[in-house]
Amino acid sequence: MTINHKSVRWRHIFVCCHFFLSISMTLSAQDLLVSGQVTDGHLPISGATVLIKSTTKGVVSDFDGRYSITAKPTDTLQISYLGYTTLTIPIQNRSTINVILKEDATALGEVQINAGYYSTTDREKTGSIARITAKDIELQPVNNPLGAMQGYMSGVNIVQNTGVPGGGFNVEVRGKNFINGVSDPLFIVDGVPFGSQSLGDFQVSGEIFSGNISPLNSINPNDIESIEVLKDADATAIYGSRGANGVVLITTKKGRAGKTRFDAHLSTSIGKVSNFLDLLNTKQYLEIRREGIDNDGVGLMLESSLYDFFWPDIKLWDNDRYTDWQKELIGGTAYRNNAQLSVSGGSAQNQFLISGGYHNETTVFPGDSKYRKASIHSNFTHQSNDNRFKINLSTNYAYENNLMPQADFTAKAYSLEPNAPALYDDQGNLNWENNTWENPLASLEERFEATSKNLITNAMISYTILPDMELRSSMGLSSYQFDTYRTMPSSARNPGYGLTPQSYSYLTSNNSQRESWIVEPQINWQKKWDKLSLNILIGSTFQQESTEKLILRGRGFPNNELLLNIAAAQEIQAVSNLDSEYSYIAIFGRINLKVLDRYIINLTGRRDGSSRFGPGKQFGNFGALGMAWLFSEETFLKNSSILSFGKLRASYGTTGSDNIGDYRFLDTYTVTGSNYDGITLVKPTGIFNPLFGWEENQKLETALELGFFKDRLLMNTSWYKNRSSNQLVGIPLAATTGFSELTGNFDAIVENSGLELDLLTVNMRSETFKWSTNFNLTIPKNKLVAFDGLEASTFANRYVIGKPLTILKLYHALGVDPKTGLYQFRDYDGDGNYSSIGDRQWVEDLTPRWYGGFGNSLSFGNVTFDVFFQFKKQKAYNTVRFDATPGFKKNTSVELYNRWQQAGDQNPFQRASAGMAGGQDLGALQQESSASVSDASFIRLRNISLNYKIPYLINKSEVNVYLQGQNLWTLTNYIGPDPEQPNPRLPPLRQITLGVQLVF
Amino acid sequence: MRILKIIKSGHMTHRRAFAGMNRLLLFTFPFFLSLIWLGCSDFINVDPPKNNLISVTVFKDPATVESAMANLYYSMREQGMTSGSFGLTPVLSIYGDELDYYGFNADQTQLYNHNHSADNNVLWGWWQQAYYLIYGANDIIRGVESSNDLSVDEKKAFHGQALFVRGYVHSLLVSLFGDVPYVNSTNYRENNTVARMAEEKVYDSIIRDLTDAVELLEGIEPISKRRIWPDRYVAKALLARMYLYTENWEMATSTASELIDHFPLETNLSNTFLKGSPETIWQLAADENFPNNTREAGTLIIQTVPGQTYALTDALLASFENGDLRYDNWIGNVSDSNNTTTLYYPHKYKAGVNEKESLEYSILFRSAEQVLIRSEARAHMGNLTGSQTDLNSIRNRAGLSNTTVTTAHGLLEAIQRERRVELFAEQGHRWFDLKRTANAGRALTDLKPNWQETDILLPIPEAELEINPNLLPQNPGY
Repeated sequence: MTINHKSVRWRHIFVCCHFFLSISMTLSAQDLLVSGQVTDGHLPISGATVLIKSTTKGVVSDFDGRYSITAKPTDTLQISYLGYTTLTIPIQNRSTINVILKEDATALGEVQINAGYYSTTDREKTGSIARITAKDIELQPVNNPLGAMQGYMSGVNIVQNTGVPGGGFNVEVRGKNFINGVSDPLFIVDGVPFGSQSLGDFQVSGEIFSGNISPLNSINPNDIESIEVLKDADATAIYGSRGANGVVLITTKKGRAGKTRFDAHLSTSIGKVSNFLDLLNTKQYLEIRREGIDNDGVGLMLESSLYDFFWPDIKLWDNDRYTDWQKELIGGTAYRNNAQLSVSGGSAQNQFLISGGYHNETTVFPGDSKYRKASIHSNFTHQSNDNRFKINLSTNYAYENNLMPQADFTAKAYSLEPNAPALYDDQGNLNWENNTWENPLASLEERFEATSKNLITNAMISYTILPDMELRSSMGLSSYQFDTYRTMPSSARNPGYGLTPQSYSYLTSNNSQRESWIVEPQINWQKKWDKLSLNILIGSTFQQESTEKLILRGRGFPNNELLLNIAAAQEIQAVSNLDSEYSYIAIFGRINLKVLDRYIINLTGRRDGSSRFGPGKQFGNFGALGMAWLFSEETFLKNSSILSFGKLRASYGTTGSDNIGDYRFLDTYTVTGSNYDGITLVKPTGIFNPLFGWEENQKLETALELGFFKDRLLMNTSWYKNRSSNQLVGIPLAATTGFSELTGNFDAIVENSGLELDLLTVNMRSETFKWSTNFNLTIPKNKLVAFDGLEASTFANRYVIGKPLTILKLYHALGVDPKTGLYQFRDYDGDGNYSSIGDRQWVEDLTPRWYGGFGNSLSFGNVTFDVFFQFKKQKAYNTVRFDATPGFKKNTSVELYNRWQQAGDQNPFQRASAGMAGGQDLGALQQESSASVSDASFIRLRNISLNYKIPYLINKSEVNVYLQGQNLWTLTNYIGPDPEQPNPRLPPLRQITLGVQLVF
Repeated sequence: MRILKIIKSGHMTHRRAFAGMNRLLLFTFPFFLSLIWLGCSDFINVDPPKNNLISVTVFKDPATVESAMANLYYSMREQGMTSGSFGLTPVLSIYGDELDYYGFNADQTQLYNHNHSADNNVLWGWWQQAYYLIYGANDIIRGVESSNDLSVDEKKAFHGQALFVRGYVHSLLVSLFGDVPYVNSTNYRENNTVARMAEEKVYDSIIRDLTDAVELLEGIEPISKRRIWPDRYVAKALLARMYLYTENWEMATSTASELIDHFPLETNLSNTFLKGSPETIWQLAADENFPNNTREAGTLIIQTVPGQTYALTDALLASFENGDLRYDNWIGNVSDSNNTTTLYYPHKYKAGVNEKESLEYSILFRSAEQVLIRSEARAHMGNLTGSQTDLNSIRNRAGLSNTTVTTAHGLLEAIQRERRVELFAEQGHRWFDLKRTANAGRALTDLKPNWQETDILLPIPEAELEINPNLLPQNPGY
């Protein structure tokens, strides 16, 4: 029994509450008191719903699974619990009925799916919603919820940016919709929109994280109950102008009625870099270096000692020395510890859950860098005795502290000369080898620290004023504070420069915060007739968000010990002080009509107003129509022994995107924080453009959902086609305008279409053995359909109509000329030389051709074995992108040893050069050519875990021990660091985790 | 899809839509009321951010226009062609024959070796920064002209300075790239597709701007007496240079004369580059926070060998006559620990990064240049005595005897030699002189094995050609 399977989702309670509405509390003479216990045949199930069929009267089982209900002797009981097959049992005058529920692997009709403003089920949903639950998240040793989603959902492409703890992710739902701008979906945590954009600043966190520090790190994955990704128009149109890129709903755990329950979860992981590059050794390196200098015609200079300083690697450093810099700089072991304790329980009226987590993580870098996170999550639910008034309060708070070197060592590890000097001298000080090199460990003297505090809290109040009408309002608050600093002490610089703390030492800090509140009052009315049921929702949204960012730089400190105290700086400069406000208002609605339990129509709409647009362009309308036909309910299929479920659904609608930053329509001057002659400066920062409006996105989807053999095989196939128009584009401007870009609507259409397949099978199911398989596959296609005046526009050299947005235009590499030993390229324009405009005509696309995941779960009694593979068919930049000319003063891939040396040689790399020859740098063109892109498809064993449940310890307590591996194995042809992370940044690590879960 | 008919907003304005909503809510949920009070469409009108000013507001107050103006001078000091770190001073010195390059910046290495291509980032940076300054100047002209809140004198002061900045930046662009767009509006649609203007026309436009600037700035006192804000003299100094470049000898002579009278040469060479030097016509104030002194000093002074980025070429060192005090005062040297290598560097600016006091500013115009302009113009006009007098005043100050040359041709050559040692490593003077006197090939063929005649013009940045094809064709050779 896994922990979460039996917890009662609040949505579940919410649905149940409708049944309570018309409970008559009086006990009439004919009524019978029926009682009993609900179990799974083994352990009691608390929180199961026991309902009198065809009425709205029901109760919930208590801590020990016991229930009692008054009913007529002729009534039928319907007993349901999340994740279990619903049972219907006629009372037949019995007063004791014990129920054994069977676990249902698929449970189409039971599992409540969060669709944001309403909930639905797999059976009745009209839209496309992908879902991952605590069960899949919990055992993955990830720090960011996005990490747990990788590979599990069709249509959702997630790429981890870095293996450095606390870094970010890129998320795309059904492809890139917009030419420029963010493709991030809208994130909503417990009903509160969550700004997923990093507040990091390049000046502070640029070198370690490229500025990208995901605020979602501050959500503890262990506190998450489920993550739903809304994909199609039917599901996203109710989010209007913010739904174009999809919506990610994160729901945290709730308490449930029953005895007080303690859950403890401890785990520890070790991680290593999964793949090192093959680089030149010292002998090969120096051989190529000398050859390059000779080839450049300056070999004589090499003889003279006058120029020794020019090539210290050859003339001044030990030519026999060899250091494996990858081992030295990124070869360490990263440790990760995670502890989580939660207490939950409550009565039928009040439920609670409080949990605390602590997480720490070290890196593979030298030094004592570490990442720590402490989080608290709580949830309280109360229902009045008549169940008409309900309130739920959820609060998530997390504190993160990330202490890292200010730069990622990975690029250095790939490029440091193999005979570069020792890091430390005999006294243990940084070795500068007579000022002939930049010691990479100087970076350890430069601290980077990021601290974030994140609070998300939401209250949901509801009151049932009429039996079929409920009023409710959700009120949320989120506050994210992010403070980082980076130091540059003089001690981290080559002492030859003679820098002193007074003249040089710097502290740059970034203090940012984002606060928002949201209020969403809603009315929900639902009515059931004989063959018809209708559900109407009307609501309104008021939201405000403010962001502030203050970047300070202090310079000149009495000594480096005082470097963290900006007050000690001789000069303090306010580099920038940004603030922005965003206001948002909307009304939205939904009409859901169900006829004969098999024809469903779902109509959603929203009218939005946003402060991000100029006068007259602030409001926009969005809406969608979704339809479903449960054809397996038709009489001719109803009793089919093969087909147990069949649904055809389709949806069409419009959504939008206002994800373009605040105040972009104004022509502004910005205070820069610098001064000239004591006068504060203002600089021009925008061109007035009041005419820009929403980006529009039209989504069309049809899907076929099938269940066979009593739903033991579930197959979901969807096809979608989304068209995005009225693109808000940062149109690159010629420098002659004084600006580099202007944001405006552009008449261009981008189409994303694709096929998604989800398969879930229960291959075997018996008392002691269960084997289930899941598989998902996405075949996306992206195309620029139309672009008015592309040829004449500033995008002429970036896009091609009919090709994806993600193309690269490259030189077409034709290999090395055996005569000259130089790279050759196709001269497209035939003008006799290679230029970017005329000759970069080779088109490559780096978006995945297809991707997906494949998982198996096997359980034999107390042992559960899970294995999950992720796969992608794609191309990526290879190591040619880093270096293409052998002989420069930096280490390279060992492939470059295979170079042209004399006329007639047929080698993939051109003749060595130390960069001192004349003429065009053909190596640089090769780095931008078709040779720099190659296949980077992979199959990766993302997750493998073995879980053992120790049987019968103490009464009703439970102990699980598990061993989990992450990224243990990858099958790929890729030539480079990692097929998922082709940049010279730390790739995702390979990890092994040992964990224990206790419940008592 | 206009499904919103359900909520009856499709045919209403947004205000009424929410009012309709309002009525419904009144019956049901008093709680809504307080929120509706916040207003609906007003709710989404947010105040402008505190770090931004709407353009119109800037031109309501002379203080904020001054801030916008100051931003231009600040930007000139920090970035682009006029800056001491990646600007004309170091980069044209390595492109020409003044400095050797030892650094590792790929773009500068290309320029040093003359194997630069159109995607050189230094050049792109210059180009972008130049037109950023030009936009800034044009926007000030536009804003000031349409402002009702500034006095006539305030308008003149800002307008005049902005015209000068526009002329100055264009003058550098045209010298480097040949035909360039002359931008005098803020309309991004026009400027995004602007074509190149013929070199002579660019010079005409510059001279017109400067003449207007002189007129506007007549009688206007600069904000500070420290010669860090351009005034009418600065506009005249550039005008004299433009007349020289366009071979208008008469105007060059008369314009330079006004300046020479007003800005006497500093007699002590070690004080020439101090911020209070009397011969300075215009300088950019140093950053009072950091480095307190010039970027030039930080860039050019060699701290250690090895560790140098730039060093003076043997050719330049050899061009000093014996006994030239400038060699002693304006050139520094440093040796490695074994004393096997000694390198020389420009030491006009002496105050390094560890200097706490602010002693030096970056000088863009000084009267020694004006003296040499007049000397050259006079030689061309046949006023050989006048030409000699001017030349000698520069030579004498450097401890050298009067020139012995008596022919016009000989004088012109002597003036070029003098310019070389007087103005070395300053704002690319040497390169511009080689270019305008068609001597670049002779000076560089031996020094730069990759030298080609087409190197006389730098390439228009490739990225700009891609965005604006009207800039085509590229300069020959790239």
